[in-house]
Amino acid sequence: MSNDILFLAEFSGGAPARSALELATGAAELAAASGGSAVAIAYGSGAAAGAAGLGAAGATRAIVLGDEDRPAITYAPAVVAAARDAGLALLAPATPNGRDIAAAVVGSLDVPAFGPVRAVRAVDGTIEAEQATLQGSVITISRPADGAPTPSVVLVLANTFTPAEGGSGSAEVVQAPEAGESALAKATVAESHEAEAKVINLEEATVIVAGGRGVGSEEGFGPLRDLAAALGGAVGASRAAADAGWIPYQLQIGQTGKVVKPSLYIGAGISGAIQHRVGMQTAEHVVAINRDPDAPIGEFADLFVVGDLFQIVPALTDEIRRRKGG
Amino acid sequence: MKIVVTIKQVPATGADKRYTDDLRLDRASAEAIINPLDEYAIEQALRLADAGAADSVTYLSMGPDQAAEALRRALAMGGDDAVLVTDPALAGADEWATAKVLAAALDRLAPDVALMGMASDDARGSLVPGAVAAIRNVPLLSYGAELALADGKARIRRLSAAGYDWIEAPLPVVASVTDQVGEPRYASLKGIMAAKRKPMETLSLADLGLSADALRGGALTRVTEARPPEAKPPTERIENLPPAEAAAKIADWLAARKLI
Repeated sequence: MSNDILFLAEFSGGAPARSALELATGAAELAAASGGSAVAIAYGSGAAAGAAGLGAAGATRAIVLGDEDRPAITYAPAVVAAARDAGLALLAPATPNGRDIAAAVVGSLDVPAFGPVRAVRAVDGTIEAEQATLQGSVITISRPADGAPTPSVVLVLANTFTPAEGGSGSAEVVQAPEAGESALAKATVAESHEAEAKVINLEEATVIVAGGRGVGSEEGFGPLRDLAAALGGAVGASRAAADAGWIPYQLQIGQTGKVVKPSLYIGAGISGAIQHRVGMQTAEHVVAINRDPDAPIGEFADLFVVGDLFQIVPALTDEIRRRKGG
Repeated sequence: MKIVVTIKQVPATGADKRYTDDLRLDRASAEAIINPLDEYAIEQALRLADAGAADSVTYLSMGPDQAAEALRRALAMGGDDAVLVTDPALAGADEWATAKVLAAALDRLAPDVALMGMASDDARGSLVPGAVAAIRNVPLLSYGAELALADGKARIRRLSAAGYDWIEAPLPVVASVTDQVGEPRYASLKGIMAAKRKPMETLSLADLGLSADALRGGALTRVTEARPPEAKPPTERIENLPPAEAAAKIADWLAARKLI
């Protein structure tokens, strides 16, 4: 066993996902504490050319599994081969793709799983994971059971680590070990339907303006988009707004949508049901705007503005533009 | 075509939940329900059965004796029979151990599709479907907004970065579905009565050829500390102000935190 910290580095469309850069920096932090190296396990289009570049964000070595965009789970057998007896921990993004691969590693190697974590540390030669569980009502600290095999698999939410900037290092690209035959490789994309409009990856946004049932219509999201633009952020939504067809499901935040961790979350016309809350409760700052002074979101927001979102949101957009321009 | 839907009994959403002194979730302290996201898997399976694409729907759960109630509730919605894996050694089982046990039970049931909810209400990893697929060495089709079966293959419609894909794999598969498959049906009175007569089998670890040792006591992880979240400063409120003044106050608040 080595003290290396492995991480999944997903590429698509020729470039690394932001999660790859965040996890490179996170893995480097943990590796510094564990006395090992940060090792990227890279896959997807752009991985062959881009893996060495993860060195700038902290990776020491990079294993490239493949350079094509195909269902992420089909890379799982190769990830399993690369992770076998290979380090103290494997960091995976807490996204659908990251979870699928992480799960395959857990099932294949009988290793412990943690997460999604709100913090992870390398201490005493092992991994310590801090999680919010039971819908945020309890914080637990967990470790691998005594004698549990490694690497521990750790699911990490976006924005848990900030990619190191200004680095110039280059990761040493090493050969991927041979992967065994696996039925997991049999999934294929039979059809692909792209929407006309490009949809932002909400997990990567550091500022999110989210709308719910109170927004009332597709057009109602206009003022939210203006505010998001003024703040350099993205628009999100509750399930009610996505179900109503006002906004694509890619922008849904919550238990069955994206789990986000922005530095600023502004919820407008969102009541704050538990299913939405679990998708945004790790936001650093939460501002809520709602007509209902008793809305549940008022109980956990940092700032609760009682009023009509259609008056307050445009006024806030004007105010921010004025201050930024002035 | 045989579908097995795995279901988990969880504390009711919003119920008072706590950890016991030995740092395990106290499952006796709260009202128990079918994990809400598993109800979508049930609904998807029953829709396939209604359409004639599936011949039988079996429910599989791992849990304490009381989990039989969750299985009865599922049978009241529809389906044919149920299997409960229960064993004292499974108290405190983590996702890895759960996957091991479900995989062993699925080996015995040999379904064409093992169908699961996309996550459980009380554990946020969403790792069980993928771990079961890896253990059984069958393809994984995850996070489906819809599941379709035809020509010896299963297909799911899954959100992509900007649209959606249909992803397919040859049977047998493990599949998981989201809340976009459609609202779960209610159990009718007739369904509730019929459920009482549907077969339910109870299995122990030994019945599945597993031992507590092989499952390392039920978990590869251990909780070393459970505590309430850090106390947050009380919510600041802005009320009864004209929009422009409220906006200026919000902007001040954001500026004080270097957010603008």
